[in-house]
Amino acid sequence: MRLELWTYPFYVLFHPFKGFWDLKYERMGKLRIAFAILALLTVTFILERQYAGFLVNDNDPRHLNSINELKYLVVPFFLWCVSNWCLTTLMDGEGKFREIVMVTGYSLLPLIVIHLPNILFSNVIILRESAFYYFLNSLAFLWFVWLLFIGTMTVHQFTVAKTLVTMGLTLVVAGIIVFLGLLAFSLVNQIASFVMTIYHELSLRM
Amino acid sequence: MGVSQRMKRMLLALGTLLLLLSPPGPSLAAAPYEGYIYSYWTEATPSPEAYLPARLISGRTLGIGDWNNPQDLYVTRDGHIYVLDSGNSRIVVLDSGWNVVRQITGFTKGGAEERFNLPEGLFVTEQGHLYVADTENRRLVELDEHGRFVREIGAPESEVLKDGFQYFPRKVAVDRAGRIFVVARGVYEGIIELDPDGEFMGFMGTNRVTVDPWEYMWKRLATRAQREQLVRFIPTEFNNLDLDPDGFLYATNQEKNTPRPIQKLNPSGNDVLRREGYGPPRGDLQFAYRGEFSGSSLLIDVDVNDYGVYSVLDSNRGRIFTYNEDGSLLYVFGKIGKQFGTFKSPVALDRVGENIAVLDRDMGQITLFQPTRFGELVNEANRLYSIGQHDASAEVWKEVLKYDANYEMAYVGVGKALLREGKNKEALGYLKLGYDRKYYSKAFERYRKEVLREHFGAIMTGLVALAVGWAVLLAVWKYRKRRLKANAA
Repeated sequence: MRLELWTYPFYVLFHPFKGFWDLKYERMGKLRIAFAILALLTVTFILERQYAGFLVNDNDPRHLNSINELKYLVVPFFLWCVSNWCLTTLMDGEGKFREIVMVTGYSLLPLIVIHLPNILFSNVIILRESAFYYFLNSLAFLWFVWLLFIGTMTVHQFTVAKTLVTMGLTLVVAGIIVFLGLLAFSLVNQIASFVMTIYHELSLRM
Repeated sequence: MGVSQRMKRMLLALGTLLLLLSPPGPSLAAAPYEGYIYSYWTEATPSPEAYLPARLISGRTLGIGDWNNPQDLYVTRDGHIYVLDSGNSRIVVLDSGWNVVRQITGFTKGGAEERFNLPEGLFVTEQGHLYVADTENRRLVELDEHGRFVREIGAPESEVLKDGFQYFPRKVAVDRAGRIFVVARGVYEGIIELDPDGEFMGFMGTNRVTVDPWEYMWKRLATRAQREQLVRFIPTEFNNLDLDPDGFLYATNQEKNTPRPIQKLNPSGNDVLRREGYGPPRGDLQFAYRGEFSGSSLLIDVDVNDYGVYSVLDSNRGRIFTYNEDGSLLYVFGKIGKQFGTFKSPVALDRVGENIAVLDRDMGQITLFQPTRFGELVNEANRLYSIGQHDASAEVWKEVLKYDANYEMAYVGVGKALLREGKNKEALGYLKLGYDRKYYSKAFERYRKEVLREHFGAIMTGLVALAVGWAVLLAVWKYRKRRLKANAA
């Protein structure tokens, strides 16, 4: 793969409008890069939980679990992509599913770019300076939301208002998906236990 | 190979046999309860027992007849112990060797003999004057050091008090200025404060009503009849009090799940208790929500010593929690049970020097607890700290750590002392183990400065080298780009 494609996410960081446009129409985005960013972000968060400075790290080391990062990062990522796709398909969005995944993945980059050096920074600060640490982390989050907003707007060719509504609704849809998932899970559970009961009943009587 | 294998097996069998046949080793005198403490993560963590039961004292062992529902206990500075034997309406005075000095069964008032009627509290001033909360007679009685009647203080009179006010004084304390503090049954306004002449001055330390917004909304929606059915917002009443040498009032209340069951009231009635420990001083932080011995601790007595260490008695699970002046939990001991060292219904506690006496109402006896080596060390470290001998205190904390390496507070104690000595790097390790972020930050600030100063040359060289390297790289990059362009053209 061309080197250009790997440095492209950094271009998107600072030129979101043109960046996401080219990502969609000039085929500058790559799905595998989006996944690489997601994987890297997971690693970043694991590192942060483990190695952030003592003064800003209130995690109980006995309860740290990397699987949690999958639960709180990777699952929501796909949930967002799927629900956004479901919604925008109905709302005349022009984005394909792979474009949505790419945009969401590329938007996550600021979190890595800021959080990773921030881990190092947090180890050399004192309590008074920890405000900077938290400020940088919030900045990273806002940057991420900004990119996601521009990206969604660009790939679906939405207006500003429609994008905002879509993003809000995406969260609602994600909630509905989770609800349906739980419902299906519990139903399957009940069916399974029902089948098991019948099996036991029969095996005891025969 | 085969032989040695068999030998090994035989030796193993022989060893096992010996182990099985040998008599059990001498077991340590185990306490009937488990010592524990709440860690930084507010989890109960095992800790050595700080106090062990030493002896039992009851009316029978003293040869004066069983105590009947004793309600209160007071230990004076010179070691005299006053036991309020309510059911027999007498006061038993013991000397520091636990021998009966005298019994006060009544007093002469204006030529007539009078007795107490189910008194619940007593207090002894430094002059030896005895104040008795003569509950069912609705009065306070002051007796002098010989047990002679001095005065009687009846129900307070004031416009503040509502009509039909029923005065049942339960506990009493008198400060050095002679002001009298009374905890009365059914009084929600706070502790009744009387001036030295017994005139009503006001209420102290009212327990504020906490209103849950959710509950408030429901009440607004409810009809009048429904509202009657709901629990009313009533401030809780205090149930006990103690005075520290500086005149601060320590008071407990028995409300379930209150965040502030212990209050330290300054003269103007504000709660100034420090709550800087890993968890709030409220007894148990982890407990079962249903079943036997469930629910939060119900504190019914408090005792504060000369160096700000105070103990509270939990009537729910029969435990004694001891905190230092910062509100850090030091140790826990005691239990509801039927063994020596456990209680049936503990009602009062007081310190006899470093020993702690706990009065059991239903059993009619006092259990005296003596500090173990661990308990002595913890007390000593706190005493030294409170009088400003921080370095000596740190030495004792180090000793404590030999008994309990999980005693987080001790690490903080040592860490602070190291910080004061300027051993910033060592301090960092200790403060981290004690989870004291504030002092860790202070130590780190100094340590960082130290490192920067020491390696100033190297750091500056590194920075300059980086800058130069960056500039060179940029120049090369530009040059190549220009050449590429020139070639293309």
